[in-house]
Amino acid sequence: MSREKLEHLGLQLPLFPTTSVGSFPKPDYLARARADFAKGKIAADQLRDLERKATTFWIETQEKLGVDVLVDGEMYRGDMVAYFAERLPGFTEGGLVRAYGNRYYHKPIITGDVSWPGPVTVDSWQFAQGLTKKPVKGMLTGAYTIMDWSFNEHYPDRRSTAMALAAVIRKEVEALIAAGCKIIQIDEPALSVRPEELPIALEAMEHTTKDLNAYFITHACYGEFEHIYPGMLDLAVDNFDLEMSNSDLDLLEIFRRHPFTKDISFGVVDVHSHKMEGREAVRRRVESALTILPKEKVWIDPDCGLKTRTVDEAIEKLRLCVEVAKSFRV
Amino acid sequence: MSSSHDPMLPGLHLANTGSYPRIGDSLELQILRRATASLDRGERNTADLLDAENEMVRRAIADQLKAGLEVITDGQIRWYDPISHLAAKLANVKIAGLQRYFDTNFYFRQPVISGTPKRSEPLVAKDFSFARNALGHLPTPKNLAGKLSIKPVLTGPYTLAKFSLSAHTGNGAVDPFSSLEERTIAYADALAAEIVELAQIGASVIQIDEPAIIKYPEDWKIFEKAVTKLIAARDKSAAEGSRPELALYVYFHDPAPLYEKLVTVPVDIVGLDFTYNPKLIDLVASAGSPKPLGLGLVDGRNTKLEDAGEVARQIDRLLPKIQRGRAYLNSSCGLEYLPRDRAFAKLELLAKIRAAVVA
Repeated sequence: MSREKLEHLGLQLPLFPTTSVGSFPKPDYLARARADFAKGKIAADQLRDLERKATTFWIETQEKLGVDVLVDGEMYRGDMVAYFAERLPGFTEGGLVRAYGNRYYHKPIITGDVSWPGPVTVDSWQFAQGLTKKPVKGMLTGAYTIMDWSFNEHYPDRRSTAMALAAVIRKEVEALIAAGCKIIQIDEPALSVRPEELPIALEAMEHTTKDLNAYFITHACYGEFEHIYPGMLDLAVDNFDLEMSNSDLDLLEIFRRHPFTKDISFGVVDVHSHKMEGREAVRRRVESALTILPKEKVWIDPDCGLKTRTVDEAIEKLRLCVEVAKSFRV
Repeated sequence: MSSSHDPMLPGLHLANTGSYPRIGDSLELQILRRATASLDRGERNTADLLDAENEMVRRAIADQLKAGLEVITDGQIRWYDPISHLAAKLANVKIAGLQRYFDTNFYFRQPVISGTPKRSEPLVAKDFSFARNALGHLPTPKNLAGKLSIKPVLTGPYTLAKFSLSAHTGNGAVDPFSSLEERTIAYADALAAEIVELAQIGASVIQIDEPAIIKYPEDWKIFEKAVTKLIAARDKSAAEGSRPELALYVYFHDPAPLYEKLVTVPVDIVGLDFTYNPKLIDLVASAGSPKPLGLGLVDGRNTKLEDAGEVARQIDRLLPKIQRGRAYLNSSCGLEYLPRDRAFAKLELLAKIRAAVVA
């Protein structure tokens, strides 16, 4: 059982552990610094100092709010795939493409064999973990999603691309574990986009985490999970972090038909709305979850990363998650 | 390739499937992003946004013209996404949260229907007029004189309905829009009115995008019923002296299982995405087509440039099997999913492919 696994790893977490999906909004000074760095106006060291200042702010904020499993907030990242692509040999930076509305990102292009250049995220994880006694999650993007969200001009097909990337991500997982990281989140938001390719996603995650000693979480969102459920439960992780609120808890109906067998980080607040949900509405979402899911398996968090919200909105949404989780512990 | 490039005549014509990147890496290509962000912050007004949109539409048209396309779109530059751009303009529709658009990493805002979606303003007709004027102000290459057309694009009623929700009034009253069929038919009525207006103002071809039907073929009857309304709108326009061609485009899935049905739908052109199934070429070459096809042989989702000679050989197999030998060479889907430089390279590739076609 996953609780036992956590305890075996030395992690004592309360019922309804609270966490967040990964990203937090960047403070204005950091957003400006990133733009200045891109224009060559400031040096890498200056940018890193500000990233660490912002990381410190978010670690302290999560501690004050009483979050149980922290994240570093990804102050040093833009896009979750581009961040890795910029650091892994085999990728070339592509031009801007639109994600939605007025949001754009540099979609990477695979132009050669991908390989692991040495630890990519370990430094930033160590810095964040050094600021708190609470566990900080290692944050990676899964091989299938990196494959799906990149252009491919090199590998012959999607499976071979995903498996090459899985070998690279596994090395990063090993490096995080060697550094002391015990909870590692490997995001796979593309998991459900091509149901016929679920076997590829499963194979890639198996290759990434097999026989490695950590508690693994995966985050997936904005997908049609009904097409890959219950097969998705074979993904080699302990915990699915799912966006539940934005889809009006539709997934619970699917779980009713076939039991959800993993731990779940249950998204209880919508991250794409400026509107702050009422505490009672969020409580009702958790109550709905508990009609189907055993309380020992439920974690509480927002639907997705909070980076598109303002700092104040993100804090309030997190506060709501923590307050509601605590109200269920009594 | 020696036949005429007049898009209505036999031959292989170059077309845009719909969207085109609304941003590029240079600052001058980021005016729309900046204008939108400034508007969101309250620093600029909607007129500023319109100026930026207009400029990016002109640039999208200029790129298509430069690459040698005959059937040009406005790049759908003004579209927030393929669903909410149209649905938000209809009465009784509100726009809700984000959903992933098919298997892309692009997200659309989901419409929520609280009553019959009614068209009370043009959906794309004004944009069509603007694009046509913009095209008219650009110098026309000699070989394309008299052969250019602007093609307005509409997301089809079935796809709109499939990605919409009913508001669920919850007061015990019967909610007709919880039915996919009711939603589809209601959208079809609204789009039919748009087709009539587009025909009146001179659209010679109108593209109807129905990507959802090849993913959910079980809804064929609903789809067919809705398309009948669009056909009726076209025929009504014809009776009034302005008959546009309707081009039904499907993508983001393998169309092979529905191929025989698709080519019997009484539209004028059927556009197919060839990137999901390498055997689709064999199927079309074997079965033939009773109507002109849009050949989505160039991948609109990947930056890798296809080998022009290889694609030309595929077209050489297909073209003789297409009735009247009329076909449109276009990307498999709109080009917005590519960075701008690669999107333009794909447009240029279309011309290279046509130059290599022997048929």
